[in-house]
Amino acid sequence: MKTVYLSALTLLIITQLAIPYRMIRSHERILSEGALFRFQTRPIDPADPFQGRYVRLRYKSSSIKCKAEEIEGLRRKDPVYALVIENDAGFAELTGWSRKKPTEGTYFKTRYRYVDTTWHKESSTRTTNGIRVDISFDRFYMDEAKAPRAETLAFESTRNSNCWANVRILNGNALIEDVFAEGKSLRELAAKKDE
Amino acid sequence: MRKVAQKNMLWLKKELPVLEAEGLLTPASRHDIERYYAEKTESGLHWAIVVFAVFGSLLIGSGIILLFAHNWDELTRPTRAVLSFLPVIIGAILSILALVKNGGTALRESAGIFHSLAVGGSIALIGQTYHLPSNAPGFMLSWALLILPLQFLLSSTGAFLIYLALICGWSGAAQYEYAQAAGFWLLLLPALGKLWAMLKIKRNAPDTLVSFFGIMLTLLISTGIVFERTVPGLWIVAYSALLSCTALLGLRLYGDREGWSNPPKLVGLIGIGVLAYLFTWSDMWRDIGWHNVRNGWQYKPWGSSFDIAITLLFIGGWLTAAVKAFRRDSSETITLAAFPIIGIICFFTGALGGNETNTLTALFFNVFMFFYGIMYIVIGCRNTKLRQLNGGMAVLAVLLVTRFFDQDFGFLARGSVFILLGACFLIVNLITARRKKNMEDAS
Repeated sequence: MKTVYLSALTLLIITQLAIPYRMIRSHERILSEGALFRFQTRPIDPADPFQGRYVRLRYKSSSIKCKAEEIEGLRRKDPVYALVIENDAGFAELTGWSRKKPTEGTYFKTRYRYVDTTWHKESSTRTTNGIRVDISFDRFYMDEAKAPRAETLAFESTRNSNCWANVRILNGNALIEDVFAEGKSLRELAAKKDE
Repeated sequence: MRKVAQKNMLWLKKELPVLEAEGLLTPASRHDIERYYAEKTESGLHWAIVVFAVFGSLLIGSGIILLFAHNWDELTRPTRAVLSFLPVIIGAILSILALVKNGGTALRESAGIFHSLAVGGSIALIGQTYHLPSNAPGFMLSWALLILPLQFLLSSTGAFLIYLALICGWSGAAQYEYAQAAGFWLLLLPALGKLWAMLKIKRNAPDTLVSFFGIMLTLLISTGIVFERTVPGLWIVAYSALLSCTALLGLRLYGDREGWSNPPKLVGLIGIGVLAYLFTWSDMWRDIGWHNVRNGWQYKPWGSSFDIAITLLFIGGWLTAAVKAFRRDSSETITLAAFPIIGIICFFTGALGGNETNTLTALFFNVFMFFYGIMYIVIGCRNTKLRQLNGGMAVLAVLLVTRFFDQDFGFLARGSVFILLGACFLIVNLITARRKKNMEDAS
């Protein structure tokens, strides 16, 4: 009986080690092979009891232009794919969305949030601009002492210049590589203040 | 082999020569008793050792998670990736050690708790290293599934309780994130299986009682979370059936045992008291029934069918428990078994009659709660059990005091009722305590 229990425990331990290994391998692949995009952002600083302090990134645009007819039947939190391209300024821009996995272009899996509309005061009418989606890659983990400082520095820098996140995208999965403010890595900025 | 505490064995060893000298035991019977305790019993582990071992592993496991949460900037990404395996490896070594060495309760519990926490710590560290988006339901589900076998392999109650906490947390996170958490019922099945096995082998063991409490609390919390709430008020029927089933199960499994040694009955009785009290408010019965079915993105089209299925499952459980535990001569069993019937009647009255019937249904539960309190006062007096007596008094006091403020009586009337109620508490307690003392003296 003990042998059966030991074999089962060994199998369980192998599974427990294999899953983190698989997670690490797939994320390393995204970081090495994924297409690089710069997402304009503004950081704020909260904490997670399990994973520690992080800088939350609030992206400038999570809106995708589309016609009102295309949104019919879409329920909040439905999974969708967002298509992304690099615009003339060198930043990422969401250009379209689909319910099915796109066959070409760069895209990432996300969730539909709500319809993006504009209210026209003069005519008392509302027009549909498109949809808003969740941008899930919004956490940049940092040292517990540096995260609040990084947030302040990045907030100050966004008044005059851009702050952006370098994001790698591969097969619908997106991963943050680094966050920049004033052209410098957020980690570098926070470390400089330390010296 | 029976477990007997070391201090009791020492006491017995001292007592046996005295009893032999007094002529109450023959040398042969003294020898038989000594041989019995030497061969058929073993020294039970002191509860403090188990508690310290459990708290120790809990603290170390949580400490490791916090250390990783500091987020060491000095460590490179590959170093952190390798480090994330470390907690699982330590947990695995502890678990193997507990199995190979046929470890006692303290070792098994420590290994189970540490190993369970280590798995969560490992996944969290990978999330931190790669800046993974917040996915609370995904994180809790992976963690729960990866530690699920530990409770069976190590017979660890700590691992069992961590699993229950995780699936309970998952139900809340999934309901928020995906607007449904029906998978909770599937996740609960292995835990129910484990409890079933424990009840068959060691019904009265402390770990079985603790596990029973864990299951009951998880079920009570998560039922409210995973219920789709598409049919307003259906929860009244579901919870009435669940709590009645729980209390009757306690009577069936543990008979007359009370308090902490009868977890289902304790949870069921408190739950019925709380539920009956909530139902005494007419607002609880506002806009209930299928004429007020809710729509919106957060309500699934299959929500009402799902809720009805869960309610029917609870009703099935209640009927089975009622048939098994029913005793015509026991007013307690009859009252507990009748509670869901009143709930069902009131639900249909509110659903069919609309808001005009709210006062009537609330009044009905006022009468029930009054009877519930009186019944336990009578049972407590008859059996000279202070716990039941005071429980009944508490139910009655809560009802009367609430209705008292509710109805806006004058100061004189309020003051008199408070004094009367307080005097009743003291006198009945005094009489019962004296009766109990007399009975103990007589025996």
